Amino acid sequence: MPLRLDPITRKKLRRFRSLRRGYWSFLVLAGLVVFACVAELFVSQRALVVRHEGRWFFPTYGGILPGRTFGLDYDWETDYRDLRTRLGADPAAAARGDFVLLPFVPYGPIENCYPDQFFKPRAPDLARRHFLGTDTQNRDILARLVYGFRHALIFAAWFVAGVYGLGVLLGCAMGYYGGVFDLLVQRVIEIWSNIPFLYLVIIVAALVKPGLGWLVAINVAFGWMHLTYYMRTETYKEKARDYAAAARVLGAGDARIILRHILPNTAATLVTFIPFTVAGAIGSLTALDFLGFGLPVPTPSWGELLSQGTKNLTLAPWIVLSAFSAMTLVLILVTFVGEAVREAFDPKKFTLYR
Amino acid sequence: MLLRRLLAASCLILLAACSGSKDPAAPAAAGGTDSPAAIDNTAEVQAYYAAHPDFFVVKTPADLPADLAWTDAGDLPEIGSPDRVRGGTWNERIQDFPPTLRIVGPDSNNGFRNYLLDDYTLRFGHLHPDVAGPHRHFPALAEAWAVDAPNRTVYVRLDPKARWSDGPPVTTDDVFFMFWLYQSSYIQAPWYNNWYGIGENYVRVTRYDERTFAVTIKEARPDMLARVLELSPAPRHFYREVGPDFPTRYNWRFVPTTGPYVLTPAEQQRTLTNRNSITFERQSDWWANDKRQFRYRFNPAQLRLRVIRETPTAWEAFLAGELEAFGMNLAEYHYDRLPDTDPRVTRGLIHKSTFFNDIPRPNYGLWMNTARPLLADREIRLGIQYALNWQLVIKQFFRDGYSRLNTPSDGFGDMSHPTLRARPFDLALAGEHFAKAGFRRRGPDGILVNDAGARLSLTLNNGYEVLTPVLVILQQEARKAGLDLQIETLDSSASWKKVQEKNHDLAFAAFNVGVEPFPRYWENYHSKNAYDQAFLADGVTPNPERKLKVQTNNLQTIAIPALDALITRYDRSESLDEMRGLARQIEEILYEDASFSPGFVRPFYRVATWRWVRFPENFNVRFSTDPFEQNLHWLDEPARPETLAARRDESKSFPPSVRSYEQWKAKE
Repeated sequence: MPLRLDPITRKKLRRFRSLRRGYWSFLVLAGLVVFACVAELFVSQRALVVRHEGRWFFPTYGGILPGRTFGLDYDWETDYRDLRTRLGADPAAAARGDFVLLPFVPYGPIENCYPDQFFKPRAPDLARRHFLGTDTQNRDILARLVYGFRHALIFAAWFVAGVYGLGVLLGCAMGYYGGVFDLLVQRVIEIWSNIPFLYLVIIVAALVKPGLGWLVAINVAFGWMHLTYYMRTETYKEKARDYAAAARVLGAGDARIILRHILPNTAATLVTFIPFTVAGAIGSLTALDFLGFGLPVPTPSWGELLSQGTKNLTLAPWIVLSAFSAMTLVLILVTFVGEAVREAFDPKKFTLYR
Repeated sequence: MLLRRLLAASCLILLAACSGSKDPAAPAAAGGTDSPAAIDNTAEVQAYYAAHPDFFVVKTPADLPADLAWTDAGDLPEIGSPDRVRGGTWNERIQDFPPTLRIVGPDSNNGFRNYLLDDYTLRFGHLHPDVAGPHRHFPALAEAWAVDAPNRTVYVRLDPKARWSDGPPVTTDDVFFMFWLYQSSYIQAPWYNNWYGIGENYVRVTRYDERTFAVTIKEARPDMLARVLELSPAPRHFYREVGPDFPTRYNWRFVPTTGPYVLTPAEQQRTLTNRNSITFERQSDWWANDKRQFRYRFNPAQLRLRVIRETPTAWEAFLAGELEAFGMNLAEYHYDRLPDTDPRVTRGLIHKSTFFNDIPRPNYGLWMNTARPLLADREIRLGIQYALNWQLVIKQFFRDGYSRLNTPSDGFGDMSHPTLRARPFDLALAGEHFAKAGFRRRGPDGILVNDAGARLSLTLNNGYEVLTPVLVILQQEARKAGLDLQIETLDSSASWKKVQEKNHDLAFAAFNVGVEPFPRYWENYHSKNAYDQAFLADGVTPNPERKLKVQTNNLQTIAIPALDALITRYDRSESLDEMRGLARQIEEILYEDASFSPGFVRPFYRVATWRWVRFPENFNVRFSTDPFEQNLHWLDEPARPETLAARRDESKSFPPSVRSYEQWKAKE
């Protein structure tokens, strides 16, 4: 089906574009998301391009290339920074035109960047391309921030999908069917909301290895409730409108009425909540990581960096500064976008009925 | 699913609550008042003694064997320094307010037990912490003792001066009662019930008079004397109300002690509402004030324990002079937070001391569960041994301060194996052994795969959050060998439970060992602790239907008939020389089995102390696990105000003290 935007939606988008702060925030955020998707091209221990003895290699994506590929005496992944130094020092290699092109930040997120030295946070060092310094385990902070951001985004995407899936489904059903079903689910939600979320996370984290899937599942399990209330009222309202009645008279089934008629008309509500849900997801993942109930080590994460930073506030202030700034920046951007979306989709401006 | 589990859990809680209030056995507790009705268990205790006439025996002094060789070990050197000064307040940090003041029963086995029991009460005799060898106890509550080895009996005469902190003398009544209490089910402490149980370790206790008793033990092991002298009696007069409600009734009662520090009733009253700190007072008329081996110890007049939950907060409190000392075992504190060049150190305000001790070492390392399919193959275990870069861990994380553990039983003096050395990190050898096990090819991620396509991937169970970086180093280095380790860090008790259920591939763990004369093997390596029926009737062939035995310390699920035989002989042996030979054979078999990868040991402890804290000339005793365990330190109170004032006055300085005490350092 070709993408056809109805005039109202087009108007909403125009309005969104005219809200400069939100629009620019959106562009920056979109840029960051794209950057996170292709981060390997900019931040990675793997080289972008290697020319070795006349052959070309592009190690960024795909399986590892063992050291033997390049005539080194080991079977594990090639140390490209070392390879570059070797090729640079070898006149024969230079004559052949061999070279190694490294990414802008030539470090990986779980790589120990000072393999011969003590574990100790080191201050930013532009010459070594540690632009934000290293953390307590000799790992590059910028690399951990970037890949931590990617994990946060993946988490947020799954979280939003889960929360919306559950919330919309149940909310619509509550509003549409009403009656006993509505009452029952409302009571279930009230009980469910009173279960202390953090304790449950602590218990679960103590029992299983909390991978990304687990974390999403737990967070979704306790995050879907608020959406149902909005969806329920919206559906109640829309269901009573003439077009819904007309569809029913024409013989449309429940599923068709909900999906084709009611849901599109509640989209404004749904869309305005997305940015805030994303911000909430990033915040809660960071909080869980901070408390040590998040992703398994050595996965890069902002919460883990923040936790390191607060423990080394005076010894290594660059850790907490980096993590905190990154987090603040992203959350502010998301909030700006959210505000703009809310204003652009404000039903008072567009609806014909109210 | 989750909901159902939650519901089930809440139902259980409800049920428990109901049964609690209807339980006829606990009428006193249900009364709802603070002081439950007094009960007197004298009749019950006497009836118990009478019901077990073979265990609780009463004789007269005339029945004492005439030829006993009584000794009081008077020639052992005295510990502590005569220069010590008594007085002052010692401030220390505790992480949590104690959940109970009981020394036994639910919730009592926590760090606070140290203050109520371990380091601060007197037993009949103590192991001399500075002298090696098997005969090195000195008297505490006892005045003298005599050993009758052929009859497996130790005779003890109590010091007539020995008193409980609330007045009454310590008598043989308290010895009898100790066995009653610890055998009683009221205390809800299965370990005690087992250890003190009739016929378990002790077969008879005999009372001759108020001050003389004898304990007969089951086997005349070389540590027989320790098993008797290191008991501490239980105050009969205090425990008169022990009954089914013991855990609640006694929860907040301070047990009279034979040691120097007590909780006053006023302090107990204060801590009912204020739980930020708890202070012990030293009794000025403590009965052992002038007793040899005790007169130079326990010097501070007060012991103030402050609740500080977070370590960084405790560190700030130390720097502010609110805590006397701070443990510097972590490299980060020793090298970064307070380096030797710090002005507070160079100006002599804070002293730094490193003391090399000589104790059985906690055996940190990776325990491989040989019941797992991959790990059942010895070649894989050998490959893992060579793929673990403990040297790098020691270098990077511990900054070269620690050393490599060589066997699971290091630090037992000549009972440890003298020549076995842990296998080094060697990728070539690791590759060779993995290849022998069929793992020859590397997958696209650099991990080895066998012909069936299985990856060489194992889970590494971890319960120590602060040591997680250690495992990350091992993980990243093992990748070079084509070995994938998935680190699973869980909360410490959950992780331990998982290991105890034998649900691990590799477990990062350590067994903490007290100062004992020789290592224990049965718990960790006997096949009885690995499987229900490890072997078929012939005693050698593995039983194909054997089931794992859970909740034991055999983390490697080792079951080797020859090893079992050696351990049995070791456990029955009455001669240290024979045991030494057997221990070496056992260690060699374990080395060949290659299912434990020895990690690291910390051969010292480090501490930073404010200038007003003083220690004896040699700092501390040989067999000590931390600087304050034996209470040899004292406070130079006049130096406190001037030192605190000098903190902000940079013109003032004192002689600095950064010292390393290496008299007990192992010679390589």
